[in-house]
Amino acid sequence: MTVDDRDKEALSALMDGEAQELELRRSLDAIASDAALRERWRRQQQVSEALQSRRIQRPDIDISERVAASLSQRRTLSRNPVWSMAIAASVTFAVVMGGQTLIPSAEKPASPLVSDIGGAVVPVMGAQPVQASLGAKPLPVTNRQAQEASSAARQVGAAYERLARDRYLSLNGQHADAAALSHPAPYVLSLHKELSAPAEDQDSQ
Amino acid sequence: MTASETDRQLVQRAQRGDLRAFDLLVLKYQGRIAALVARYIADASEVEDVTQEAFIKAYRALDKFRGDSAFYTWLYRIAANAAKNHLVARGRRPGADATIEDVEAFGDAELISESASPEAVAMGDELAEVVEAALQALPEELRAALTLRELEGLSYDDIADVLGCPVGTVRSRIFRAREAIDERVKTQISGDSGFR
Repeated sequence: MTVDDRDKEALSALMDGEAQELELRRSLDAIASDAALRERWRRQQQVSEALQSRRIQRPDIDISERVAASLSQRRTLSRNPVWSMAIAASVTFAVVMGGQTLIPSAEKPASPLVSDIGGAVVPVMGAQPVQASLGAKPLPVTNRQAQEASSAARQVGAAYERLARDRYLSLNGQHADAAALSHPAPYVLSLHKELSAPAEDQDSQ
Repeated sequence: MTASETDRQLVQRAQRGDLRAFDLLVLKYQGRIAALVARYIADASEVEDVTQEAFIKAYRALDKFRGDSAFYTWLYRIAANAAKNHLVARGRRPGADATIEDVEAFGDAELISESASPEAVAMGDELAEVVEAALQALPEELRAALTLRELEGLSYDDIADVLGCPVGTVRSRIFRAREAIDERVKTQISGDSGFR
């Protein structure tokens, strides 16, 4: 960067109130002896005014009601106990039904948790081959084990319930956000896209 | 640091008698002050005289400026009074009464559009068109930096955060964006355009 360019850059920073005291002094000296630099300051003030006063083209739309309605609906859903209970009930039902196929009943004789079908020999590096279940009886499950499994299933069910509720609220929120952004948006949206682009390398540093 | 901080620094220097600093303030604000004066006075040459008078009065009164308000607000009051006094001295009643609230509520763009002559408006529109075209022709990273500065009023630090680059890069991008726009504006001025 030449001395001339450095003066110009300092002048640009001075316009924005971002120049150091030393740069201010140097700019004053440079402008006093350089008519072109003085003219540049005047011209760039005009450009700045033109930029700041330029009318931003805005589509003639009013999405405020739709946004308010969407937000209101979202709030209602999250607070509506009927919806929450319905979701919770359906999730719990699914978990219980699914669990019943896996968990043995405590009243019934314990059923084997392992397959009756004979297992296969599992080769493991550095270990002796093990015959998994060929010729062995299935492992019996005690009542205590069954109760523990049932308790674990309830915990899993509650976790699924929480997960389902959070996921529902999250998806609902994403849907509302996406719907808001899918309409003709003002300048901010296009700027947002530009700014979301990968960061450029450091220019002329 | 903000643009008004630059004003404060320049005012402090001008208060110590540095005319170069005051010169930068004149260059910065003469257009806006002339637009304000033109709200009171129709004659273009009288507008220039009163604008000049306002800056001279401001310089003479600079010792009384304590920095309680922005320099431009203070200057605005002086210019408005100068315009009113001018009309009274000429035996004319002051016209539209521009107030400080006008500036704060509506900004300069509205003042200019309401008060400037058709020629001035045309020249302003022409400049705005050139600037707009130059802005759109800028590479994205330069346009984003300058837009965030000029339209959003963000500091270099904030722009660096938004763009995810060092402050030095922001400063460089804004400078280069201004350079590019300035080239277009200079060409326009040296061409057939009337704006200066």
